[in-house]
Amino acid sequence: MAFERFTRDARAAVLGARQQARTLGHHDVEAEHLLLALAGRPEFQALGLDRERLADALAAEEERSLASIGLAGAELEPAVAARAPRRLRFATSAKLSLQRAMKVAAARGDRRLTAGHVLLGVIAAERGRVPRALQIAEIDVEELRAQI
Amino acid sequence: MFTAPPTLPEDPADALAAVGALRRLADRVEDAAVERAVLDGWTWSDVAEALGVTRQAVHKKHARRLHAAGISKGGR
Repeated sequence: MAFERFTRDARAAVLGARQQARTLGHHDVEAEHLLLALAGRPEFQALGLDRERLADALAAEEERSLASIGLAGAELEPAVAARAPRRLRFATSAKLSLQRAMKVAAARGDRRLTAGHVLLGVIAAERGRVPRALQIAEIDVEELRAQI
Repeated sequence: MFTAPPTLPEDPADALAAVGALRRLADRVEDAAVERAVLDGWTWSDVAEALGVTRQAVHKKHARRLHAAGISKGGR
């Protein structure tokens, strides 16, 4: 499915994910940034998604992961220009989320790809940062999926 | 930063997540280190050689950001 098939809201989610990655000073746009962008939408907030809470959960996941290999207090004086505009890579996890979203849309016979499809694509991940953060944020993925 | 020698977590999910967390940490270290080098007057070629990548690669990755922040003038 080409980008033209994306609804305005789905496109906004992709652009929003870029913005999230940039704001966090990350080099890559990942599935987690799509999740954060989608969590800013009122219709998904109504389903219990909260951007602040997810951002905290993602930070906690990172801290926990670093601690698991004995790296603690990885506080680093941040780069002055960490949040300046940069060339971002659209990483595999984000691509996979969109591929899964397209599959969901196709399976439902929907001609257009909506923000809801993108969210379904993002939360379809069973491994990685997104499910780990959702668990920390105590979000019931099955329940969420059923409501989208 | 290491409180103890790094050991591999028992759970593969944790061990693999640690790889991602370290990559993001490395990205942050790279941003700060490149920025400091450029502020200290290093050329893109110097930075690239120190990182073991091409000048084009380091320029593509950092020039826009440092230029936007007024740290580099681009070029070289």
